[in-house]
Amino acid sequence: MRDWEEYVRGHLALPDLTPGREERIVRELAGQLDEFFRDALARGLDEREAVAHACRQVPDWSDLAAQVREAERPNTRPYLERLSLRAERAVQTKGSRRTAVMHALNDVRYAVRRLRKNPGFTIVAALTLAIGIGANTAIFSALDSVLLRPAPIPGIARVAMVWETDRNSGTTREPASVPDYLDFLRMGKSFDTLAAFAGTEVNMAVPGGDPVRLAALSVSHEFLPLMGMKPVVGRTFYEAEDRVGGPGVVLISESLWTRYFGRDPAVAGRVLRLDEKPRTVIGVMPDTADFGILQILASAAYSRSFADRSARARVDVWEPLQPDPRTLPRDTHPIFLLGRLATAATVETARQEMSAIADELERAFRSNAGRGVFIERLEDVIFGPLRPPFFALLGAVALVLVAACINVAGLQLARGINREPEIAVRCALGARPGVLARQFLVEGLILTLLAAGVGVALAFAGIKALGALAPPDVPRLSSATIDVHVLALTAAVSVLVGLVFGMVPTLQAWRLDLQSALRGAGGSATSAPRRNRLRAVLVVAELALAVLLTVGAGLLLKSFWLLSRVDPGFRAAGVLKAEYQLPPGRYPVDFEVWPNFKEIHAFTNALLQRAQALPGVESAAIAGNHPLDPGFTNSFAVVGREAEAKTWPEISIRRATAGYFRTVGPPLVRGRLLLDSDTTAAPPVLLVNEAAAERFFPGRDPMGQQIAFWGARRTIVGIVANERFQGLAAAAPLAAYLPLAQAPSTNGAGVLLLRTGSDPLALVPSVRAAFRELDPALAVFGVEPLEDTVSKSVTQRRFVTLLLTLFAVLTLLLAVIGIQSILNYETRQRTREIGIRIALGAGREQILRRVVGRGFMLAGLGILIGSAGALGLARVLTALLFGIAPTDAGTFVAVATFIAALALAASYFPARRATRIDPTQALRSE
Amino acid sequence: MFSPELKKGSVEMLILALLETRPRHGYEIGKLIESRSGGRIKFALPSLYPALLRLENRGWIKGRWVEKAGERRRCFYRLTPAGRRTLAAKRATWKEYLAAVSSIMRPDHA
Repeated sequence: MRDWEEYVRGHLALPDLTPGREERIVRELAGQLDEFFRDALARGLDEREAVAHACRQVPDWSDLAAQVREAERPNTRPYLERLSLRAERAVQTKGSRRTAVMHALNDVRYAVRRLRKNPGFTIVAALTLAIGIGANTAIFSALDSVLLRPAPIPGIARVAMVWETDRNSGTTREPASVPDYLDFLRMGKSFDTLAAFAGTEVNMAVPGGDPVRLAALSVSHEFLPLMGMKPVVGRTFYEAEDRVGGPGVVLISESLWTRYFGRDPAVAGRVLRLDEKPRTVIGVMPDTADFGILQILASAAYSRSFADRSARARVDVWEPLQPDPRTLPRDTHPIFLLGRLATAATVETARQEMSAIADELERAFRSNAGRGVFIERLEDVIFGPLRPPFFALLGAVALVLVAACINVAGLQLARGINREPEIAVRCALGARPGVLARQFLVEGLILTLLAAGVGVALAFAGIKALGALAPPDVPRLSSATIDVHVLALTAAVSVLVGLVFGMVPTLQAWRLDLQSALRGAGGSATSAPRRNRLRAVLVVAELALAVLLTVGAGLLLKSFWLLSRVDPGFRAAGVLKAEYQLPPGRYPVDFEVWPNFKEIHAFTNALLQRAQALPGVESAAIAGNHPLDPGFTNSFAVVGREAEAKTWPEISIRRATAGYFRTVGPPLVRGRLLLDSDTTAAPPVLLVNEAAAERFFPGRDPMGQQIAFWGARRTIVGIVANERFQGLAAAAPLAAYLPLAQAPSTNGAGVLLLRTGSDPLALVPSVRAAFRELDPALAVFGVEPLEDTVSKSVTQRRFVTLLLTLFAVLTLLLAVIGIQSILNYETRQRTREIGIRIALGAGREQILRRVVGRGFMLAGLGILIGSAGALGLARVLTALLFGIAPTDAGTFVAVATFIAALALAASYFPARRATRIDPTQALRSE
Repeated sequence: MFSPELKKGSVEMLILALLETRPRHGYEIGKLIESRSGGRIKFALPSLYPALLRLENRGWIKGRWVEKAGERRRCFYRLTPAGRRTLAAKRATWKEYLAAVSSIMRPDHA
């Protein structure tokens, strides 16, 4: 037996009737269906066929509903009463609730149907929104991961860097000397704990493989507890282990533990060979334990160690600092200091106290001349350089979303006008504005949620790309994912946007002029001027945004181009570099016999010989630092001008074999280059570069002058051109070049540079073989074409430029689509008017000019406003610009011209369509 | 067999006529129209039912739920006094209309 009432209720929606009436109609119809059903049974059909027979009596339920509603018009109640009735019914029996659910489902079904009927609009709108939402999700996800997630250092707000400063060279983030550190510990009260660390690299022997080079930190025993880093296995250092002559113990990273020790829980006690010395492992640190180290080192003026390698470096080894003031006296500055503020202290009071102590030290010791301190919050050091570019990116991406919304709003408005007749008819038939509004809202929400789905997928891919392309000194970027917060934010943004879009057609429908709407589209000769202005404003706003982003991208691109044309002073093309560090065990470094490090010189000469003999090698050289390695500086005094030299800045010391200048080095300006004959036994000589010649010998001839340092008086025998070894964007540093034989590295570090006529990568296997022949236990690293190193040095700049250009292109695209659609739409609206004009004899050109003129006017306004905004906001990019000001006229003019041309192109097609209007058709379409 | 336009104008009148002698329920009315016209006039439920509602809302017929022994509840409609007057008027109009149309349709002699 079939429940016909349920069936009827499920199909017949009569929301406007009183409950009693609706009930009666439903019952009656159910009864009638039942009669048909029984009739059929009586005639001999089986139950299924009888049911089908009954159901066939009403083929179109919506039609019946409409007729019933029409018939029942006298029984319908005023609007407010109906609202309250519906509210009542919402809490009644399941039959009524079912009606509400049915309504919601109907709305959804209706919305989907409408969206499917206009695939053009739906696809364009959804894609546009997807781009906006996706971009925002990706950037917000990155922001969340990099900046917003709490740092793994507990109480980071009370931790500060204690940098030293040098008034003479104007640097503010220098490492400190060991005696200064010990004095600060003794005399200072602002810090509860003051720890020291230095970055370094070590070779680890790998049984059965080539040795590997690891980034390491030498830390005082307070360091890890100060940073709140606890070991995963084992313990951190005791104070006794941090003394000179203490045991050789190390901590290893979790990654190292996994990779080379198989996560052995009994790893404590095992022995590694680092730089050929045995070291006992006492514990394992988690991979987050080096948080911020890279950023601290990267912001230092020098001694950046592994932070200068433009690759993602993780600290794999921790060893005790064991600071020795005898071997590291007050005039060398190898360590960085970091402290946790005492409870009563603030950064300000700490600054005052430490400056006072630094002044005392300056008065007491000659080596501290010009040195002060600078206390900086750790948070600022780590996150400070990241905040401006990130917020700029967030701003840019928000602008893209706004542009996308503007576009879709415009599309909606256009579509809304087309639906006026439909809406008017429904209103006339008794559809209440509330129902219409609800349907539009549902439509807007569905469109936006669809777009959000696509957008999140796009964002997912985007995040992966961001992580891969990003500069290595952005912490936690490679681990950014789309997590719950981000999804929640995306959902909220999408719902908001969807509601906004739902409102657009509703607002339109509300202000509808029923009469003209029923007369059909284009009922009036021209559209309401108010609506026109709104659309025009939207398009101008979009154009302004596009101009803003394009100017930004243009400035960055121009900077990049200018940077690429900078003469770096060295020639990287065709050069291969290979770095190594000779362990002091087998290559002793004895200061008593400096510079006669016999084993080191023997190795250098042997390597050079072998390298020069390799097939494909045009010339070879060995240097202390390669051209993108800033190296270190030293104080500098000309013999006879020592008093003056007290105020001089330090000079960068470059050491190289004679072949350096042939292989990569700067050209000779005067005098002679270094020669093979400048051996350890020969008279000490050096070269200076042009910058140093100007600075230290203004108006004088440096040739033949003598410089005293490192235990000898060295004669200047030549001047070479400037090399930009502190990076392409920085000014060329003051430099002196010494023969490697007369000034070998005290840490055994060296780099082999080979020039070849063909692809440098082809040399790699033979180079590695050459090293292996000479010393199989030596780790060789950083083997890459020098051009790659150059490219890596501009990673951050390139990254931001790429991103901003991408955004600019997206916004431009949206703006162009916006112009096109608004002009198209207006042309269609004015079909009648244009038809009349043509009929009255207006020429094709005139029509073209009108439409294109309108497009131009919109573009012009947009360009003006956008340029004004760009003038104000481009300052944000100053840090990333090179060689141009943020108000570079050339860029502004180029962007304005480009966008004007685009606007012209975008206006052309609608204009052409306007001229093709057939006047008779146009007039008849009324 | 007859076009919807022809039927549309007469459904209300037919219903009123069928209710003249005694009250009937909706299903019965439909079946009766079909049988009395020899199957030539059929009204589907979506046409008939709204017509019933219209007539009721104009006050010409009135529906009442009646439960007979052993049968389901059915809504029986009967003519109101206003309905009878309307029926009489419609009948008269119909007769005049028929007469007028016939006189036009007669073939011409002369």
